[in-house]
Amino acid sequence: MTADGTSGPLRIPRRPRGRWKPWLALAVVAAITAVTASPQWGVAVAFDAIARNWQNGALKIVQLLQPDWAFWPRTVAPLLETLQMAVIATVVGALLSLPLSLWAAKLTNPHAVGRGILRTVLNAVRSVPDLLYASVLVAMVGVGALPGIIALVLFNVGIIVKLVSEAIESNDAGPLEAGRAAGGSQLQVNRAIALPDVWPSFINQTLYVFELNVRASTVLGLVGAGGLGLLIDAVRTYYRYDQLSLIILEILVIVVVIDLVSSAIRKRLV
Amino acid sequence: MSVIAPPKPRSRILLVSALIVTAVVVASFWSVDVTWSRLIDLPADIARYLWLMFSAPTWEKLPEALAQTWRSVAMAWIGTVLGIVVATPLSFLAARGFGPAPVRWALRGLFSVIRAVPEIIIAIIILSVTGLTPLTGALALAINGVGTLGKWGYESIEGVPRGPIEAVRASGGSTSQVLRWGVWPSATPEFLSFWLYRFEINVRSSAVLGLIGVGGIGDMLTSYTQYREWSTVGMLLIVVVVVTMSIDAVSAAIRRRITEGARTR
Repeated sequence: MTADGTSGPLRIPRRPRGRWKPWLALAVVAAITAVTASPQWGVAVAFDAIARNWQNGALKIVQLLQPDWAFWPRTVAPLLETLQMAVIATVVGALLSLPLSLWAAKLTNPHAVGRGILRTVLNAVRSVPDLLYASVLVAMVGVGALPGIIALVLFNVGIIVKLVSEAIESNDAGPLEAGRAAGGSQLQVNRAIALPDVWPSFINQTLYVFELNVRASTVLGLVGAGGLGLLIDAVRTYYRYDQLSLIILEILVIVVVIDLVSSAIRKRLV
Repeated sequence: MSVIAPPKPRSRILLVSALIVTAVVVASFWSVDVTWSRLIDLPADIARYLWLMFSAPTWEKLPEALAQTWRSVAMAWIGTVLGIVVATPLSFLAARGFGPAPVRWALRGLFSVIRAVPEIIIAIIILSVTGLTPLTGALALAINGVGTLGKWGYESIEGVPRGPIEAVRASGGSTSQVLRWGVWPSATPEFLSFWLYRFEINVRSSAVLGLIGVGGIGDMLTSYTQYREWSTVGMLLIVVVVVTMSIDAVSAAIRRRITEGARTR
């Protein structure tokens, strides 16, 4: 049986220990799922109501499949407002983010305290979704595009500063040290050496955030912050699912077109 | 002696695109329906509201807020689990080398269509069937999750090294055995990691879904914003921030442990 002359049963290495760990993890996941799915503790996963309402839902889906094309003229203005909000918020957010990104990165801002404060604030800002900002801001400044723009700007600054400052930190520290050694102040070094390196990642993240903004600004109107969302809210109150489906189609087209253009530009940049 | 600098490279495309971008931006600022003069007293206004919200947050409603937060998190969890259950088999079918080409392209199209629709719209569509319950929220998150999880899934399956797969095939393994022994061991860390990441996303989105009335912290936040009870709104925002940041921290720690392995002693 054996070629090299040894005999006896084939020796199999012992199974590594700790094989119960994945099962433990699975058990924990199953337990959490059971608790969150139970009627008294969580979400009450009950499909009988869905089965009962199915007739009603099927009717709605039939409506969704027949978009009301005559509704198109009324969607143009809100659609434009959605895009305006996305463009303005991206520009303002990007302009605010550039200095803040330099401030949040270790290489371009050696002061740990200021950096720490900025990062903590931005972490907190990022953990609230844009629609919640919008709903609070609508109560503060009134219905319209302005609260939507402010909500998007907050959300943009949070994301751009995080991604760009991470890009700065992955850069080589050498050129910056050379600038310092040549007698440049931190400000001069940042402007002359760090900034040119930042541009590609900054533009890349700005375009990425623009994609996110287009997507987000279509629904901000649901809380009164302008754009297509206002119209969505109106047609959904009257259960006009045929009009809703036209709006969804428009969102799909815009989001896909802007994603394609933006990712084509980003691919060229990198 | 003067320094001769090389001429700056210029490209016509760059110039044209800069002009287009500027034109679009100027047009947006000029045409949008915003009274820009409002911006002058806006900072003072916002400072006043921030003071109203955070100077003395009302903590009496904290138990209710935590109960509603739990509801949102439960929604996020169920949505994630359902999304995983549906998306994982689909992502195998959508990966090159496992699914037939027509199925592959149909699934990829489906994933990108789903990703383009915000989850709140998915919730609006399905609530005619499911009603205004947290389950609607969970299902909306699950459907939206299929779009992202499916895409990440087939990308990571396609990134699995070919060697083990060929080895299983060569020793006579069936497709399911190839998946189990050739793909799964190398794909697991990535899958686990983006499942957790999707849960983090869902925790944020579940708060948003409350806005249309499916329950949870977002629902509570909108009601108190409408009553203009700013001190309660402030408390709720603090709860949202703390809960989201702690879930992110725990999940990020687990993800790091999965992708980087245990710290060597």
